[in-house]
Amino acid sequence: MDESEVRRIEAAFTASTRQRHRRHAIRQVVLNVAGVLLFLAAWEVLPRSIPGLNLLLFPPPSGIVGALRELALSGELFLHAATSVARSLGGFAVGAVLGVSLGVVTAMVAPLRFLSDPMLHGFRAVPAIALVPLAVVWFGIGEVSKLALITWGTFFPVWINTYLGARDVSATLVRSARSLGASRSTLILRVILPAALPLIIAGLRQSLAIALVVMVAAELVGASIGLGQMIATAQQIFRIDHMFVGLLALGIIGFALDRLFVFVAHRLLPWYGRT
Amino acid sequence: MDAVLDAPASAPVSLAPTERDLVHVEGVSVLYETKGTPSWALRDVSIAIGAHDFMCAVGPSGCGKTTLLNLIAGFLQPTRGTVQLAGKTIAAPGPDRGVVFQEYALFPWLTVSANVEFGLRCQGLPAAERQRRVAEYLALVDLARAADRYPYELSGGMRQRVAFARALVNRPPLLLMDEPFAAVDAMTRAALQDELVKLWQHERFASFLITHSVDEAVYLGTKVAVMSAHPGRVERILDVPLAYPRDRNSPRYREVIKAVEDALAHHG
Repeated sequence: MDESEVRRIEAAFTASTRQRHRRHAIRQVVLNVAGVLLFLAAWEVLPRSIPGLNLLLFPPPSGIVGALRELALSGELFLHAATSVARSLGGFAVGAVLGVSLGVVTAMVAPLRFLSDPMLHGFRAVPAIALVPLAVVWFGIGEVSKLALITWGTFFPVWINTYLGARDVSATLVRSARSLGASRSTLILRVILPAALPLIIAGLRQSLAIALVVMVAAELVGASIGLGQMIATAQQIFRIDHMFVGLLALGIIGFALDRLFVFVAHRLLPWYGRT
Repeated sequence: MDAVLDAPASAPVSLAPTERDLVHVEGVSVLYETKGTPSWALRDVSIAIGAHDFMCAVGPSGCGKTTLLNLIAGFLQPTRGTVQLAGKTIAAPGPDRGVVFQEYALFPWLTVSANVEFGLRCQGLPAAERQRRVAEYLALVDLARAADRYPYELSGGMRQRVAFARALVNRPPLLLMDEPFAAVDAMTRAALQDELVKLWQHERFASFLITHSVDEAVYLGTKVAVMSAHPGRVERILDVPLAYPRDRNSPRYREVIKAVEDALAHHG
């Protein structure tokens, strides 16, 4: 093989590899879309194929499109969705900040850990949804009540994951940092927190999903606006199609927030998952 | 052969402190507990490391060589005895003692240059000075081109060179190394050993290196501390009266190897 022959083979090899990757990516997207279409088709056909089924109770996609257009065009849907997302993210933010701070503190200060362990683990076992009635009595059906509930629900997964991550930081990394002259605050901010970040992120992701669940539960009980309230109202006025629009919106929001979260996490942790 | 031996073959070594000694370990014992049974990691150990010494500690596993390093680094406090650096008792780790670990211990979330910069930030140096020093030390370990890469993108040998740069950038008078080349392949190890000798000659720090390889100890050290296990002791400290760079095939080199091996066999 002479030099030009080598170049030619390399170029052909690179091109074919690239083409294979592209074909693979296209195939994946096509299958994704096909899966959604198959599901919609089955949903469209199934209610109609069962004799005597009330299509108002079990609306196929075609029966929901009208409600979707109506709610979207009036702007109502986006108002509900925006309110619900804002509530979820607000409670999530408070819960996340509290969870990370307390997680680091309980991992680093043993007396505080032993002092708080029984209460934290005891409270952790209480589902946030069980507290909805109490929150309504204490805080009413306003924003405070919802924020408190979502904060409660999101705090615990973040706390426990941060705690585990900070506690199990490699002793050699801590020794490295200290022998390089790191102060306690440098150690926490530049070593322990980054080292715990993969677990913290896992806790945050879990909490983000919980924030949506608690948000809906709180809105179902009482709210003047929000997707949960929209679904609850739809039940009262017997608009099953409106309910489905609400469910669809929740599904899309949950999916989009999770994707966004993963994207941001990968941006923050280019080093993660490799050693 | 007697010229090689610096201390008598009997009993624990005890050296009188001198003005030149940077590290002074005197009558140190460390007791620890395994499954409820107390056990001596070190018993009555005394060594002195001069400001320009390259001390290598060899011995079987369980001889307490890592414990000895951890004491000097300040990661551990002795049960009995004193450990001093330049006349001051060592109470905690600090930037006056660089440490290089076997498993590199680089911060995976920082780039190569940010890893090297870590200690300078801790000292509160201004950004311009930090950048200058980082560039200087990355060049010294021949890694200037890898400055913006993450540790996971580097080979084992490159990672260890970053670890050396990170430890040395603080310009510590003492560098502690815990089997620094145990995790790299033989060819990389030989290259890194030569680079370490050059760094040591160029930067003039005192070295304390732990190894289980007699060859590594004799190739690198000005002194070899021969240790034995159960309980951990320093049995002998042998001088290596050979000039650098050392020739592994020279009769004098093999003579020193033989002396260290005999000491190990005698006390093992």
